[in-house]
Amino acid sequence: MTGPAGGLVGIVVVSHSRALADAAVALAREMVHDGGPRIEVAAGLDETTFGTDAAAITAAVEAADDGAGVVVLMDLGSAVLSAELALEMVDPDLATRVVLCAAPLVEGLVAAVVTAAGGAGAAAVAADATDALTAKTAQLGSAPAGADEAPAPPDVEGPTVTLTLRDPHGLHARPASRLVGAVRGLAADVQARNTSTGSGWVPVASLSRLATLGGLAGHVIEVRATGPDAATALDRVVAAAADSGLTGALLAAPQELLVPDTPARPLGASPGIAVGPARPLRAAAFEIDEDPAGDPAAEQARLARARADAAHAIEAVRDHTATTAGADEAAIFDAHLALLDDPDLLDDAHARIAAGRAAGRAWADAVDAAAAAFAALPREYLRARAGDVRAVGDQVLRALTGADGPAATPGDGVLVAADLTPADAAGLDPATVTGVVLAAGSPTAHAAILLRAKAIPAVVGAGMHVLDVAAGTVVAVDGTTGEVLVDPTPAQAERFAARAAEQADRARAARARACEPAVTRDGTTVLVGVNAGSAADAATATGADLAGLVRTEFLFLGRDDAPGVDEQEAAYRDVAAALGGRRITLRTLDVGGDKPLPYVPAAAEANPFLGVRGLRLALRAPDLFATQLRAIVRTAHATPVSVMFPMVSTVAELLAARAALDAAIAAEGRGVPPQLQVGMMVEVPAAALRAAAFAPHVDFLSIGTNDLTQYTLAAERGNDAVAALADPLDPAVLALVAATCRGAGDDVLVAVCGEVAADDAAAALLVGLGVRELSVAAPAVAGVKQSVRGIDLAAAAALAEQALRAPDAETVRALAAPGH
Amino acid sequence: MSASIDQLTDWVRRFAAAVHEHRDELTRLDSAIGDADHGSNLDRGMTAVVAALDAEPQPSAAALFKKVGMTLVSTVGGASGPLYGTFFLRVATASGEVTELDGPAFAKALRAGLEGVVARGKAEAGDKTMFDALAPAVDALDAALADGDPLGESLRAAATAAASGRDATIPLVARKGRASYLGERSAGHQDPGATSVTLLVVAAAEALA
Repeated sequence: MTGPAGGLVGIVVVSHSRALADAAVALAREMVHDGGPRIEVAAGLDETTFGTDAAAITAAVEAADDGAGVVVLMDLGSAVLSAELALEMVDPDLATRVVLCAAPLVEGLVAAVVTAAGGAGAAAVAADATDALTAKTAQLGSAPAGADEAPAPPDVEGPTVTLTLRDPHGLHARPASRLVGAVRGLAADVQARNTSTGSGWVPVASLSRLATLGGLAGHVIEVRATGPDAATALDRVVAAAADSGLTGALLAAPQELLVPDTPARPLGASPGIAVGPARPLRAAAFEIDEDPAGDPAAEQARLARARADAAHAIEAVRDHTATTAGADEAAIFDAHLALLDDPDLLDDAHARIAAGRAAGRAWADAVDAAAAAFAALPREYLRARAGDVRAVGDQVLRALTGADGPAATPGDGVLVAADLTPADAAGLDPATVTGVVLAAGSPTAHAAILLRAKAIPAVVGAGMHVLDVAAGTVVAVDGTTGEVLVDPTPAQAERFAARAAEQADRARAARARACEPAVTRDGTTVLVGVNAGSAADAATATGADLAGLVRTEFLFLGRDDAPGVDEQEAAYRDVAAALGGRRITLRTLDVGGDKPLPYVPAAAEANPFLGVRGLRLALRAPDLFATQLRAIVRTAHATPVSVMFPMVSTVAELLAARAALDAAIAAEGRGVPPQLQVGMMVEVPAAALRAAAFAPHVDFLSIGTNDLTQYTLAAERGNDAVAALADPLDPAVLALVAATCRGAGDDVLVAVCGEVAADDAAAALLVGLGVRELSVAAPAVAGVKQSVRGIDLAAAAALAEQALRAPDAETVRALAAPGH
Repeated sequence: MSASIDQLTDWVRRFAAAVHEHRDELTRLDSAIGDADHGSNLDRGMTAVVAALDAEPQPSAAALFKKVGMTLVSTVGGASGPLYGTFFLRVATASGEVTELDGPAFAKALRAGLEGVVARGKAEAGDKTMFDALAPAVDALDAALADGDPLGESLRAAATAAASGRDATIPLVARKGRASYLGERSAGHQDPGATSVTLLVVAAAEALA
């Protein structure tokens, strides 16, 4: 539809404010390149007085028209009334060519100017302007159902081209307007879709519809055309795209293509075999309340109640997790509780309620905005917090509607889900959930750690296709090898069943011998300890030779002031008592900016994992440190104690810590406790590489493989996108374990207290490298002891040599797999 | 009796004086439920009208009311500009090029103005707008004239009806204009448009007595 006589449709901008109208016109003029339509402004009573003037609008309409018609865009209230009045005041013949357009002023004006510049008629210009709101509502996700779904263009056969977007800003308005201009006036129906997002087809002639494609850098846009000028149209589209830089030089890496959202391969995340019917986890099916049940005050009260309910639920999960998996793992829920009280989030939600929204809608929108803000941050660590925001947000929404959490299809079987939040994982019942398969996820994520603590076999990173598995389909899972079989053949099922039976036999045998020492076939004793976050952890560790790691954080988190000497001593003695008086390894306070303590001043850090944490923090809080060391010394006078300093990077730090310990011993005035041993964690590659420099100052070195892996491979454990990188069996990590053992020499014991120590495949490898103590979660103690009993030291050393030369972690796993 | 062009002009001037006198009250009413500009906007418009009439007295009813309407649409700024502007422009058209209006002709002109307000503002009874005072006033005028009452007396009845309509807006919830954004909170406040249009009818009763 082209205006008569080749003239362009004129545009009139009516606003209360002259400044607003002038600025909007300037913004819109940026979109047109070759002149563009006539734009008249009728705004304000003068430069500074707000108001609208029907007579001025009349004059503007007359000036804007050159026979092709006029589209009038207005702001609100009297602008509309005055424009309507003006339409009565102009020449009746002209009035028939004028369209008063209900589009939002700024968005509508930009779209109208582009469409008019392409030579469209007044009705088409007005329609595109009205459509301009669609892109924004789609972007903000606030479109009512169906509002952003214009009727799909009919399926047509015709030539197509594809455009790969190279502009770092994607298909933004300016290049999009060039595409619109390229197809105007041609006898062709030209449509585009975003194949990267799987969008529907939209007309290229419409700027606002193009915007709904959401084209980002790296996306592939497909364009098709029909009609006599189809070929010309596509040529022009390609030329306009190149000309505007849309498909030109690659200015920035298309990040979305480089970051896989799942690990590259399925990974065993919790050992064990499970064969059973799939129980797909259905996303929380709850409806967000859209209609306020009461006035804003009542809605605010509803939200407050729901937040309180959610807080109680999170606290319960945290406490449960603290007893089953340790304080470290429970700390994630403290972060969730803090998000629940986040002032920005609350202010936003309250403001939305005050504006008349229902509590549910207000909270959901505020959470979306906060999560989107996190997701847009440049640092991956902060981006990952978006998931936490959404997890907390959903919990409140469920409390508001009384809905249950995500529900698995009822019945025993293998849970299949995209991913699990820590809360979801904490809530699983091992009695009914015999196994877990996650499409995404990471073996080092909190959810996986909780699954191991519950001894539920699990495979993560299985790929999105597992979500297509129908409920009831038999799924076989090997949480050690990472194998997942959907609808296995009878032979395959039998193989899994045999493996499971073998493991069950082994577990039975292990339990029977749990309290015997773990001695290799050739007579080398390997200590097997328990990692404890509380006295309760220690109490459940049947057969543990010692507590190889006591996370003392359980005493410090979730309170407003530091525990005193007496309280700490009592707690440490409780742990020792729970272990029947066996040695306890007390790690001094290991926190950082990711879980700040209210009574320890700490600056905000962009990357807390590379900031003031562990011993670095203790040395900056000497009173806190001295108090803890006093309690440890007192405990050591009563029971065998090892003290261990976390996150040591330099010898100077270690010497400073030892000096503090000496001061605490002197302050107690009872001499050096005879059974006190001193050690340090090896988590920083610098410490592993220079173990020989540390060895003279310690009795033992304990390798924290979780952090050592993170720091070695520069891959955060909680980030699914790099989970496959953060494999503790990566040859680089093993090389650092080997370096630590070499540097330690004969007199200094090397322990491993990370997750990998419980890995069936890893025990021989670690012992072969020279590790003589493995400290694991309580349920794994008996099994690890049994693994040690199967080790032949010479064979293990040969295996370790091979592993150090292996190209990657996958090869190491294959080498170390049982039965190899 | 008929209303002369001088009396009609006096009506307009009296309305201007009343708006000026009640300017702060109108603004105060508007500040409770709107954008606090009704008094100042309408006063600016009517002051401009008086200045225009001072500069150039109008010879006919049509010319007078068209002048008033056109001046208002260009000087008021807010929604009362096109609404009062439309009212007077329709009154001008209905009045015709005459120098006096008898009762029925004046009533017919007011009715046309009311219809213009409805067409412009899409307001209905109970929306808490100027319609709620103007419509009962025009109805009362028609009824009184039909009963054979003289124009002056009929206009007093119209003024009473306007005031009743104005007072009846207090408990209403606004459904038009900026006040509608307040929803339930607009209840309990007298509508400023109904208040100013009552001044218009009262001015007519005084000028055309």
